[in-house]
Amino acid sequence: MKKIRAFINNSNISKFRFYFQIAAFVLFVYGGYFYVTISEKLPTFACPFNKGSGGTCYLMPLQHQLHMTWSRFIGPGGIHLLKGFLVFACFGLVFSKAWCGYLCPLGTIQDWITKLRKVLHIRFSKYGETTFKGLKKIKYILLFLLIIIPLGVSNSLLWLPKFSHDIFPPFCKICPGRIVLPLFTGDTSQIYIDFSTKTAMTMTALGMIVTGIFFTGSFFKKRFFCLFCPMSALLYIFSKVAILRLNKNVAKCTRCGNCYRVCDVGIKEIADDVINKNIVKDDCMLCLKCVEACPEEGCLEVSFFNIPVFMSTETGFFKRYCLRNEIK
Amino acid sequence: MNEKAKIRLIIEVKKSLKEIMDDFSDVPEEMGYFYERFRAFFEETPNNGKKVIATMCIHVPVELIYAVGAIPLRVCSGARSMAEIGEEFFPAKACPLIKSTFGALYLNIFPMAAAPAMIINPTTCDHKKKIGEMAEDIDSCFYTLELPPTKETEEARFYWHMVVKKLAKELERVTGQRLTRKKLKAAIGIVSLAQAQLRRLYNIRKGNPVIWGNNAILVANAYFFDDIANWTDRLSRLNDELEDRARRNQYVVGQEAPRILLAGSPSIFPNMTLPVMIEQMGGIVVAEEFCSSSRSLYDMVAVDEWSLYDMIPAIADRYLKPGICPCFTPNIDRKRRLLNIAGDFCIDGVIYNSFAGCQLYQMESRHVEKILEQNGIPMLYLETDYTSDNTGQLTTRLQAFMELLQDQKS
Repeated sequence: MKKIRAFINNSNISKFRFYFQIAAFVLFVYGGYFYVTISEKLPTFACPFNKGSGGTCYLMPLQHQLHMTWSRFIGPGGIHLLKGFLVFACFGLVFSKAWCGYLCPLGTIQDWITKLRKVLHIRFSKYGETTFKGLKKIKYILLFLLIIIPLGVSNSLLWLPKFSHDIFPPFCKICPGRIVLPLFTGDTSQIYIDFSTKTAMTMTALGMIVTGIFFTGSFFKKRFFCLFCPMSALLYIFSKVAILRLNKNVAKCTRCGNCYRVCDVGIKEIADDVINKNIVKDDCMLCLKCVEACPEEGCLEVSFFNIPVFMSTETGFFKRYCLRNEIK
Repeated sequence: MNEKAKIRLIIEVKKSLKEIMDDFSDVPEEMGYFYERFRAFFEETPNNGKKVIATMCIHVPVELIYAVGAIPLRVCSGARSMAEIGEEFFPAKACPLIKSTFGALYLNIFPMAAAPAMIINPTTCDHKKKIGEMAEDIDSCFYTLELPPTKETEEARFYWHMVVKKLAKELERVTGQRLTRKKLKAAIGIVSLAQAQLRRLYNIRKGNPVIWGNNAILVANAYFFDDIANWTDRLSRLNDELEDRARRNQYVVGQEAPRILLAGSPSIFPNMTLPVMIEQMGGIVVAEEFCSSSRSLYDMVAVDEWSLYDMIPAIADRYLKPGICPCFTPNIDRKRRLLNIAGDFCIDGVIYNSFAGCQLYQMESRHVEKILEQNGIPMLYLETDYTSDNTGQLTTRLQAFMELLQDQKS
């Protein structure tokens, strides 16, 4: 048992993650062809517009279920919404943010783009702390909008006229997943701008623009789109109570900042927070690179059902970061 | 004057080394190499035409120096004779470490008879800040490395990144060699191997004592001037021997000896009075919180993308973020680190030494004492300098503290 534990702790989880992501990508993008349908309430961007999806993103049914008149909320519509959310919550409670780091196909594509940039020896871009904090708020705004707009399509909000149905489903219209993921199954039909009405044109054009930003952004900044992802905001609800956790033994932290350095989404608290034990933040995708980069024995630890499954070790750090570039 | 001072220094070195070698028995065989290094402290060593870059503090990123094909040499001095020379330049109550270091610089006396092409001086304490302005008194080219006064903010971090980048450029200019991705990666590798061995030594010292604390301090001190590959190799052999000793339960002192953590101003050879005295009185120094030993090599560089663009900031971060020098404000990390060491090394008592004149260490001592007290760890505060004037009083206070710890243990 001790040996197995040491083997896991000293292993290169990033490599494991790379292959795991490929497997998950195949499952979520091509699984449908093999009659795999895991669920329609997945907390990950497996896009329903892609015919091969082996399970689909929860944001789509969420928007549809919110698209109803107030009266239907107290009745079958409400129950339906609640049931959907409970299924989604179950997924979120088990794997928490690991959905983002290990399973999300859109996240995987961004990691591949980063790999391409590294091969080309092109620099990444840097942000000031304040810019970064400002950008991060966008995902909460998007989450708010994707809830409020479907309500506004079926109801009059604040005595305003109802929104045009052409705006629906609002997030899917602007989500790059809708355009990018079908491409992997040879479906280019999502690349379009709908000129039928003004609203439709705005929304589909926005979708194209966001897709453009998605590619350029994630080329220069790791996991760029994840900063704005409303799913990430929604999953954050469960991270404090989820079964899969990232814990920090704060007494052991030297605040060397290695974890912050390697963090793809630039979470500063992981290095600076020496009060909280549960260290999963809203942008975290549980990729566990921080655990790999921590040279302090047992300072960062991943637990499942309170059983530690992977923790930072001195030996592991040297194996991963130093001895491999031994010269002479 | 130069010759006379040099002779006095050599006598001092010999005396200090002799005391350690004579008074402590049962030392590991592999210590022989390190004793020999100190015996040959001033003998010229060949360096294959490589330029020597002197550093005055642990906040100098040595990886950059290795990467431009030069050799770092830490010139912080523990010699009383040199402090006496330095007295001419500093106020009476200045720190002896600075006086001694500056004295040696003034006389051009360097370990290994080196002639540094450049002296990098980080602006840590007030003394170091002002020493940069006294550069006209010495021959060597002085370079001021602007260390920010805090390490908490992103602003400080980015400022430091720029400072380190500037240093990299200056090093390229001085050595005439270009800093490349490959060379820097190799340099990080070389230093990390040394770090791995030093960390191993600390892990060994967490258990029952198989090495005298003063010996361990000497080993870390040798890193100041020794060839890094040799040093790493020798330390690895020493570690093998120590691990072997631990397996055979061959300890240098019994279980009853109080385990001491030495904190504060560093003991730099030949100023080994404090650790030697503690261990002569039946204690054992199992850990030091010194910039001359544990802190110099402990923290690791973690690079995300192996390009110069990311490597240089990664190295810069390693020399700023985990720093616990009292020159930083706030410096809560130092107290946290001390508590962590106290737990890991099963410390019975902390001896906090501050050089007379080091206000930063003096001012932090009260906070440290309070926090240690809250955690039930006794602390003795001492103020020393390089002279032996107050040895009598020092002995009495140390003896009383040791007795207290021994009583607590039994």
